[in-house]
Amino acid sequence: MVENRPFLTFLAHLVLIAGIVVVAFPVWLAFVASTHPSSAFVSGVLPLWPGDAMGETYGRMFTEGISTSGAPPLGLMMMNSMIMALSIAIGKIVISIISAFAVVYFRFPFRALAFWMIFVTLMLPVEVRIVPTFEVVANLGMLDSYAGLSVPLIASATATFLFRQFFLTIPDELVEAARIDGAGPMRFFRDMLLPLSRTNMAALFVILFIYGWNQYLWPLLITTDESYYTIVMGIKRMASVADAEPQWNNVMATVMLAMIPPVAVVIGMQRFFIKGLVEQEK
Amino acid sequence: MAGLDIEGVRKVYAGGIEAVKGIDLTVADGEFVVLVGPSGCGKSTLLRMIAGLETISDGEIRINGRRVNDAEPADRDIAMVFQNYALYPHMSVRQNLSYGLRNRRMPKAEIAERVQKTAQILEIDQFLDRKPRALSGGQRQRVAMGRAIVREPAAFLFDEPLSNLDAKLRVQMRGEIKRLQKRLGTTSVYVTHDQLEAMTLADTLVVLNGGRIEQAGRPLDLYRRPETTFVASFLGSPAMNLLAATVSNGTLCVGATNLAAGLALADGPVMAGLRPEAFLLSPAADTGAFVLDYIEELGGTRLLHGHVDGQQVVCQMPDDRPLADRMEIKVSSSEIHLFDKGTGIRIDQSPDIVGAEGRIA
Repeated sequence: MVENRPFLTFLAHLVLIAGIVVVAFPVWLAFVASTHPSSAFVSGVLPLWPGDAMGETYGRMFTEGISTSGAPPLGLMMMNSMIMALSIAIGKIVISIISAFAVVYFRFPFRALAFWMIFVTLMLPVEVRIVPTFEVVANLGMLDSYAGLSVPLIASATATFLFRQFFLTIPDELVEAARIDGAGPMRFFRDMLLPLSRTNMAALFVILFIYGWNQYLWPLLITTDESYYTIVMGIKRMASVADAEPQWNNVMATVMLAMIPPVAVVIGMQRFFIKGLVEQEK
Repeated sequence: MAGLDIEGVRKVYAGGIEAVKGIDLTVADGEFVVLVGPSGCGKSTLLRMIAGLETISDGEIRINGRRVNDAEPADRDIAMVFQNYALYPHMSVRQNLSYGLRNRRMPKAEIAERVQKTAQILEIDQFLDRKPRALSGGQRQRVAMGRAIVREPAAFLFDEPLSNLDAKLRVQMRGEIKRLQKRLGTTSVYVTHDQLEAMTLADTLVVLNGGRIEQAGRPLDLYRRPETTFVASFLGSPAMNLLAATVSNGTLCVGATNLAAGLALADGPVMAGLRPEAFLLSPAADTGAFVLDYIEELGGTRLLHGHVDGQQVVCQMPDDRPLADRMEIKVSSSEIHLFDKGTGIRIDQSPDIVGAEGRIA
């Protein structure tokens, strides 16, 4: 529907602007809060414009952290989050593309059963199976380690399903042409499926990176050593200090810093992301 | 270069459906064989069995004298051109052409040379660095053929390669395939459902029906002497008229209408196969047996659709002949094909019967 009436244009912009304000205002407030000294919040009136303490707050948070609320320097926490998010995202993609390859292109006994078992795990997110998973990880001695942070979250039924659906759209003739051209299964995987799934992988990477970055419950549960804290749990620890006012400027600075990597990933990969969601190169 | 032998080949799918019911076919070195038939006749299955993409339930396929029943497609020394081209979408034309050679670990210099030569033959050398999606349908078709040619295989297999092209391009590519095959002299098996494509391309035409060979031979032989009503109606456009008729005293009658006289045949019901161009029509206001329904103009000729004694008849005649709503219809007796009414098998006119009956009507 293409209409060109001034009033409708006005209305459309009004709605869009209202939407943006609703979404962006809290982010703006968080940013403003991170630039004022902590004394600014005691008065009970929130400032709406940035203050002058930005450099100081960010610098302190990044390099020193706040020892009183048990938060290590943000630099370390961001590094931990980054390692966890990257291993989850990359691990999920690698494992799911391989299992989708097996399920779609090989005829083995109980193939359908294998696929449905993968599919059923969709219904069991981390939170549901968190106690037994913790038990397993603890018994394997993986508490307080990067492996413990990422491995239990690394299998992905969603991604497997997505790759399976994509593989099913690849025409049989392409597979047959490759067979006649002398490509065995592994070569077919490397020369055809991997390059053809590039956009899918990029789209998945964005989603999975954010998923990994935002993990809260699991890292909270299995890390007791400060040097493995992730930034998302760091925010929580800072906001709920005992017997003191939360230092909102510090918390908000952490929030702003925690937002940067996911935003950077989305902006950096949005071209692939959109392409991967709406079209497939065929 | 090599011949191809197919012996008693059958294909039974899981569930007991028999798609190919025992086919024997020998393709000589350099021969262009076209398999033609309606959909579901097993022609594609047969081709895919030759290619190794389907297992062979029974029988034997030999390429160049070597039994290939259990060989991988890549080891059969064949190349296949697919209906939807099946080009690798993420590779440039050059990579598409060279992929099969690279997998065979051919030296780089030789690959480059072969790709260049093939590209020149097909006139696609200016597109070598483009991706398939940047090519038109005809160009993609050429690349698909190039991918087969560059391998220099013992045999080409074509699976309805032209059916995705528009009519004009199809005629042009048809000519090119023919020219190319003559030039390279490579044994080829070509599957199509288009009888015109089949007639024009084939050295040997094989008409398949229901998983069996209905008739095989040179295209013109099949056209002139179809062995069954199926072949008769399948070849030629517009299709041959098949009329339920009777022979009595050497006269061919459709209902009460005498079409031709002087047949050397025993009396009885027959199927008469009459090509649209075999009829002689002359206007006859009230008495004509051919009742005209409508006319299709083809330019130089026109098609007259009508009926004789309740049976549909299509006649083709030059556009300068007079027309009328009812016309006298005759057929030259040499243009008549007769088939058994029950089995659909060709009946030959035999001079003996003329002698026995002692009459030439």
